[in-house]
Amino acid sequence: MITLLKYEIYRRWKWLVIRYAALIILGLIFFNRASASPMQYDIIAASMGKFFLISIVVFAIIIVEGINMLKEDLFESSGYLTFTLPKSERSILFAKNFLLFVQLFLWALVSIQFGTMFLKLLPLEEVSRYMAEIDLPVYPAILFVLTAFFNFVLMVQFSLTLTRTLLYRNKYSGIISVGIFFLLAYLIENFYYGPFLNQIKHAYIEIGTSSASNIDLLSGGYTAVFLNIILAIIFFTATAYLLENKINI
Amino acid sequence: MEYILTTKQLSKYFYQKKALEKVDINIEKGKIYGILGPNGGGKSTLLKLAAGLLKPSGGEITIDNKNPGVYTKSIVSYLPEANYFYKWMKIRDALNFFKDFYDDFDMERARKSIEFMKLEEKEKITSLSKGMLGRLKLALALSRKAKLYLLDEPLNGIDPVSREKIITSILDAFNKKSTIIICSHLIYYIEKLLDYVFFLSEGQIILAGEAEDLRNKRGISIDRLYQEVFQ
Amino acid sequence: MEFNNCSPIYLQIIDNIKQDVVMGKLKTGQKMPSVRELAGKIKVNPNTIQRVYQELEREKITFTKRGMGTYLTDEEKIIKLLEEEISDKIIQEFINGMNKLGFSNDKIIGILQEYL
Repeated sequence: MITLLKYEIYRRWKWLVIRYAALIILGLIFFNRASASPMQYDIIAASMGKFFLISIVVFAIIIVEGINMLKEDLFESSGYLTFTLPKSERSILFAKNFLLFVQLFLWALVSIQFGTMFLKLLPLEEVSRYMAEIDLPVYPAILFVLTAFFNFVLMVQFSLTLTRTLLYRNKYSGIISVGIFFLLAYLIENFYYGPFLNQIKHAYIEIGTSSASNIDLLSGGYTAVFLNIILAIIFFTATAYLLENKINI
Repeated sequence: MEYILTTKQLSKYFYQKKALEKVDINIEKGKIYGILGPNGGGKSTLLKLAAGLLKPSGGEITIDNKNPGVYTKSIVSYLPEANYFYKWMKIRDALNFFKDFYDDFDMERARKSIEFMKLEEKEKITSLSKGMLGRLKLALALSRKAKLYLLDEPLNGIDPVSREKIITSILDAFNKKSTIIICSHLIYYIEKLLDYVFFLSEGQIILAGEAEDLRNKRGISIDRLYQEVFQ
Repeated sequence: MEFNNCSPIYLQIIDNIKQDVVMGKLKTGQKMPSVRELAGKIKVNPNTIQRVYQELEREKITFTKRGMGTYLTDEEKIIKLLEEEISDKIIQEFINGMNKLGFSNDKIIGILQEYL
């Protein structure tokens, strides 16, 4: 697995460095601009907004790259090299997704750090009021978003792998994998999260009537993260199973 | 008798197409085999099944008495027809890659082979011509001390000078502990290398035998025999 | 070394070597190239070369010195036998060829006398 990971990093190390360096450097530049103009909330907001955009762009790049890591081995002739290596398909998949996970974590770390720094420039009362209005448990929410996007990639990987398994070399592969993805998303939305989302809604309503305790809400948030993790394991295992036993390269 | 590769009633279907139909083959160690036949006849399919890239639809295939998997991939050196290199690689990267993943990779031999094939380590994969890629693939595949070499059309798209180099490389790699299986329709150039041949067409073996035996019995070259059989 | 792919290669190589011995291209007692060397030189399967050497050894045309390699015999009597064998073969082929064209054996003798 280490060797696999080594090459997943090595082949794109320059891009990785550029990506995070840009995020950090631009973050610092915008933060400087913001902190140099205290009390000028429009400038601070503008800098914050710009950093937010950069952050989203980097995030999108990480996600797309995560999908491509598997897609190229499934649909291009480099698959002949990858899948004849004396490594289990599971570890090949794991190496790719481990890198994805590490990147998401790094991105989150940097973005949240800067986010916090920016927020401190804003007047404290306004921030607290803002946070109270949203009523969002922060850490579970962040984890939920991260794990949700990680799942997004895993779901796409599964869709692509399933398509490749069912249709050995077909020009409609792209459309079909998109179709499979949306089908899965729909099923998960309704049968997996559905019941659980209702629970969250309940929790919010109860807070509105200020009867629910903080602990309930927090556990609600972390439950979502837990569900995501389970889902991630399911998709990873399913994709690995197809790669090991069913797929024809 | 110890066989390095065995198939029992091996079948492979793609939708309606029968790529291989109940094929039985036994491959001995220390020999060079030729699997000959027209395109689409099943040659590549058989090699890919041995390489572990395809899964059998029916029957079984074993390499060194094991089903295709991590172990067999470590003792099998597969040379596909396609260009399977990662686009980001330079030749040097490819050498290191093989060294990192394959314990049986001989770096010294690989470097000499690269030189012999008139290639330079600093060249990018994306800048290589089809012929250069063919030579590179072969140099790498044969620099592994594998138990089974699967060469799928190694001479396709290769100029005459390189062709001789490739044949020399194949002979150099040969040893009593290894087996080489070559698929090619350029029979004329490789038939002197072959111990045993299989003629594979429409997923079935229609003729098999020792090369010298077939020459003796039929009084013609394997090349000529192929033309007669496949008109 | 010349041979074609239309008849067993190992037999052709054996013939070639025998001819080379008779013609003096290969010196008696000379060390023969190893199986790999010869295989690489004429681009032939090493197993075929192995078979060649086994046959030559069986006919006592070559012998193996343990750890040192294969050598051509230097026994006069064997070389003489080879000469006879080769010339017999050529003559037989010639006669067969001529018979096929319609020349009787008496005619062949007459033609030969004139020719030579």
